[in-house]
Amino acid sequence: MRYLRLPLVLLISVLAASATPASAQDPRLEAARREGKVVWYTSLALTSAEKVAKLFETAYPGVKVEVHRTGSQRVLQRMMQELQANIRNVDVVHTSDAGHYVLLKEKQLLMRYTPAGADRLAPGFKDRDGFHYGLRATVNVIAYNSQKVSAAEAPRTWKDLLDPKWRGRLVTAHPGYSGVIATHVLALVHLHGWDYFKALAQNRPMLVQSAVDPAGIVASGERPVAVNGGDYTFYQTRKKGNPVEIVFPKEGVPLVVSPSAITSFAPHPNAARLFTDFLFSRELQQVLADSEGLYTGHPEVKYPADRPKLGDLKLLPVEPEELEKRNEEIKTRFVEFFGA
Amino acid sequence: MAEAAASRRGRRLAGLDRAAPVWLLAAAALVLLILLPLGWLAYISVSGPQGFTLAHYVRVLADPPLQRALWNTVVLAFWSGAVALAIGAPMAWLSARTDLPGRRVIPSLILASFVTPPFLGAFAWVMLAGPNAGSLNQLYRTLTGADTPLLNIFSMPGLVFVVGIYSFPYVYVMITNTLGLIASDLEDAAAILGAGRLEVARTITLPMVLPAILSGFILAVLQALALFGSPAILALPAGFHTVTTQMWSFFQYPPRPELAAAFSMPLLLATALLLLVQKKLLGRRGYAAVGGKGGQRRPVRLGAWRYPALAGCLAVLACAVFLPYGILLKAAFARAWAQPLTRENFTLENWSFTFLHGATQSAILNTLELGVLTACVGAGLATLLAYVTNRRLVVGHQVLGFLALSPVVIPGVVLAVALFVAYTRPPFLLYGTLWILFLAYLTKEMPVGYSQADATLRGIHPELEEAGRILGAGRLRVLREITAPLAKSGIIATWCFVFIGVIRELSASIILFTPNTKVMSVVMFDLKEEGQFGAIAVLGVFMLVMTFATVALMQALLGRDVLGARPSGGPG
Amino acid sequence: MPGIVITGLTKRFGDVPAVDGLDLTVRPGELVALLGPSGCGKTTTLRLVAGFMAPDAGEIHVGDRVLSSPGSVVPPERRRMAMIFQSYALWPHMTVAQNVAYGLRFAGIPRAERTERVIEILRAVQLAGYGARYPGELSGGQQQRVAVARALVVEPEILLLDEPLSNLDASLREEMRFEIRRLHERFAITTLYVTHDQAEAMVISDRVAVLQRGRVAQIGAPSELFEHPRTRFVAEFIGKTNLIDAVADGPGRVTRGRLRLRVAADGLGAGAPAVISIRPHQIALSPRAAAPAPPAGANALAGTVIRASYLGDSVDYQVGLDDSDVVLRVTGPTPPRARTGEPVALTVPAEACVLLPAED
Repeated sequence: MRYLRLPLVLLISVLAASATPASAQDPRLEAARREGKVVWYTSLALTSAEKVAKLFETAYPGVKVEVHRTGSQRVLQRMMQELQANIRNVDVVHTSDAGHYVLLKEKQLLMRYTPAGADRLAPGFKDRDGFHYGLRATVNVIAYNSQKVSAAEAPRTWKDLLDPKWRGRLVTAHPGYSGVIATHVLALVHLHGWDYFKALAQNRPMLVQSAVDPAGIVASGERPVAVNGGDYTFYQTRKKGNPVEIVFPKEGVPLVVSPSAITSFAPHPNAARLFTDFLFSRELQQVLADSEGLYTGHPEVKYPADRPKLGDLKLLPVEPEELEKRNEEIKTRFVEFFGA
Repeated sequence: MAEAAASRRGRRLAGLDRAAPVWLLAAAALVLLILLPLGWLAYISVSGPQGFTLAHYVRVLADPPLQRALWNTVVLAFWSGAVALAIGAPMAWLSARTDLPGRRVIPSLILASFVTPPFLGAFAWVMLAGPNAGSLNQLYRTLTGADTPLLNIFSMPGLVFVVGIYSFPYVYVMITNTLGLIASDLEDAAAILGAGRLEVARTITLPMVLPAILSGFILAVLQALALFGSPAILALPAGFHTVTTQMWSFFQYPPRPELAAAFSMPLLLATALLLLVQKKLLGRRGYAAVGGKGGQRRPVRLGAWRYPALAGCLAVLACAVFLPYGILLKAAFARAWAQPLTRENFTLENWSFTFLHGATQSAILNTLELGVLTACVGAGLATLLAYVTNRRLVVGHQVLGFLALSPVVIPGVVLAVALFVAYTRPPFLLYGTLWILFLAYLTKEMPVGYSQADATLRGIHPELEEAGRILGAGRLRVLREITAPLAKSGIIATWCFVFIGVIRELSASIILFTPNTKVMSVVMFDLKEEGQFGAIAVLGVFMLVMTFATVALMQALLGRDVLGARPSGGPG
Repeated sequence: MPGIVITGLTKRFGDVPAVDGLDLTVRPGELVALLGPSGCGKTTTLRLVAGFMAPDAGEIHVGDRVLSSPGSVVPPERRRMAMIFQSYALWPHMTVAQNVAYGLRFAGIPRAERTERVIEILRAVQLAGYGARYPGELSGGQQQRVAVARALVVEPEILLLDEPLSNLDASLREEMRFEIRRLHERFAITTLYVTHDQAEAMVISDRVAVLQRGRVAQIGAPSELFEHPRTRFVAEFIGKTNLIDAVADGPGRVTRGRLRLRVAADGLGAGAPAVISIRPHQIALSPRAAAPAPPAGANALAGTVIRASYLGDSVDYQVGLDDSDVVLRVTGPTPPRARTGEPVALTVPAEACVLLPAED
């Protein structure tokens, strides 16, 4: 029931808002309608991304959202490959690798735009030059299948995962695909050094690509323990009735803030601005928190009772600049240890 | 003087083949299609900032992880070829030469395995034999109480197995076609001289079939070398690369097409070499020596072995067809594919999600659009080219035939790298459009289309056309009024072959797509990376339905088995 | 009605010449057979005349038109010819009437007249009423007639036939020979006829051109070729014959070991090598005991029957000559005059011993 209520509330409030004459003649909306659509390259999980698109299209009929969902690293790869071939397709780009935005800003591929109310976001969610803002945040956690692993024997810390008893029972997502995982790897390298991953590789984890995927692997029991992955994906999987338990390791959890920005060459700039405003509206941020289990930087967002507060967790943040600089190193060494 | 010159010019004009531009255009299109990308590929593999360099080759060949990828590919190709041989050869003999029960149905089931996209099979086998959640392993554990899985599909042996069960039809087809041409009287001739049954098999049948066996093996090896989907689904989670997955990862940001180009050369070389060997084998004493298709063939009586042999065949087909199709269907209708399909677990959500998801809709449209377009242009061009080479219409027609078949040696990933390099720069900026995919598919399907069209035209006696010419019809009119109607069903079959090839294509698409030009296989691959099993299963089922509808159409048109295998006892 | 003049025609496949400087004239209204073993270039010559290939050298004239020369070839559709193929080449997707009417479309004949002419020609080849059938529904002989009708209905200037009877069984083949000759006499179209069957060539043709290695070895009326072959090859190819390698030995005489023969003509100096051709039916055989005296000037030879084969209308003997390695084939009347092992006397008139050049 709760699942349904919030979008409904949102819908009603949006309808109410658009019923007012001022909004009907909103010049921004008119300009966006003339452009017809906004193209969104995003690393947000496909189901979540599709939901955001539907909500926007309901709120602003006449403006379509073209969702292209893939891993953070692929989003960047696509975008750069297209630019190289002189294709200017993307309006709004959203990945979980904050380092990307350092690179994109440096290459002058971002448009400076501060969405309405974004100045109130928490400090870690704002670019000081105003090019990009954190749309959502997640933390990397350990998760296990409670039918296959008892709470007593479940790993409690990152180092617990190095125990040989987990050999062949682990799954990891890939930093060469996912920004969430690239951030995770860097944070744990800070914490335990590369030796940690060298040791983890000895337990022969199964390699998947997306940070979304371990949740499914753990739920199906293919591998009972995930050594990383966005906590929101485990949360959603668990809410669907799967036997998945989430562990927040004591050493701290790598915090991943996923920025969103408009490209400097956006073919639909007005629609892009309208969409970005929508993304950072309190209503949508609340939906992300509520039904998707994400954290946000919005000060008024309320979190479900079964979620720990971000402030209660020991967070392991990483510097975007460092993430950008060490991107190649992270991928290369990971492949070196894990084989692919 | 002037008059004489004029009349000579008139004669010269009169002598010109007025259809010549058509032939030359078709030939030029083919040359451009194949030589331009390959030229670029070779060029960028040896060019650096300071001009000519071998640095890229040194880098890819000296790098230990890349060496491992090369070795993995060798291992995969050899062993999956061996598996294909071990499955395909006995099944060919059983269904062509024995009184195996149900031997008339088996070719159709093998056809089903043949047209199943290998990556879909690999995906289904993840659900069947994932070491822990895989249905077969769960069943095995429940039955035996064992701790370890029966089969870990995420491993080299697992990969070899999955590749093998989808490439054995190549061996099967080669051998059944040859067995079908050996009349029993050749064997009887030996028997009457006193050779026993085994002796006949060893001294007569086996030597005659040997070239077919070897070339079937080589075809299976070639398949394994070029595959991208199956290793991407099964090898990457296990932590190892093959050449194709490695080339694909060269395209991650920042893309290194020059390394991909250099790394593609060993693969290109290996396939070319293997194909050469195969040609030699068939050329020396292949079909030509196996003369005379007449003569009665008496099936060998299996006696007590009838049912065990049938069980063996069914086991293979279960692995290739029944089990994967079953699990795909189940996953398409299940909330959680690993759980039993109970009322609570049953859902249609996968279907609505898949078909309402924007990327899927446009991907299906793109796939159909590309399938139809490539099939039309491909069948047309292949027929024209086969016509030109069969009737020797232009100088160098042999070269043309060779060129049309040459993409066989170009694995899809390599072709994609070549096309990417060729068409992301002037004068042809095609990256980001469906046209680059169209070119990739057209090139990749050209060998299949050409050989099908060639077989069709070989079946049309040139005298039928000459009879039209001498009575006053020009070459194009003859082509339209005589050749085309006679070749009609063969051309439509060519169309179907190309269409089936296109809708399942993954290895080139995965490098050439952009978000606006996604095709079904790429969407499935994306969904795989996100673990959306239900949606992939839905798309997989949809793809299989399209494929089988096309096959049915083709079978109706050709009035025979699509694989060209003669069902024993039936008419050819 | 034009004739065909072929001069110096050459066609190579790779380095191998299939036609090698061939000269041939076909007179208006004449039927000439190109006869030779497989690989002699006869089919290539025909296809060059039809315009399916370009010559490497030489020219083909029909009337006052040059149809083929190395740089310029009038395409087949503008040669006003018709051709009958070995495979008949009937279009399986058209009815008999459609097949026959096809060429009329290009001859500028009005539709109504076309139908009339199709009916008329089908009657001429004894296929009246078969117009609506498809070729697949006809027997081999009937298909053959359709092919003939399709070629004749356009009233071509030149008719080309490429081994048209080779796919028929023996009795039908014989019948069709006369049929083709009859049609030729009725329509009198200049015709080139390719065959490897010398009996067929002799029945059908006005003249026969024997081809060897891409050239005309000899051309002439059938009787001329048979009685006066000019080369060893022609003598062997047209009918059965005995060939004896010998040496000239004075005027009108040759020798081979102890064998001495008087021969028809002579231009050879003593000691020059020569080949003698003797037709088996021109040798008279009788048991030695009952041998009549040989006529003056005839060769009288003694030998022993090695084998006598009874062939129904004749007897075929192999006779080994005494004091010689020569074995002669002799055709004699039935009943047999001598049995195997019996000594016989042979009589050969000097005119029957045709002297041929030793080398071709």
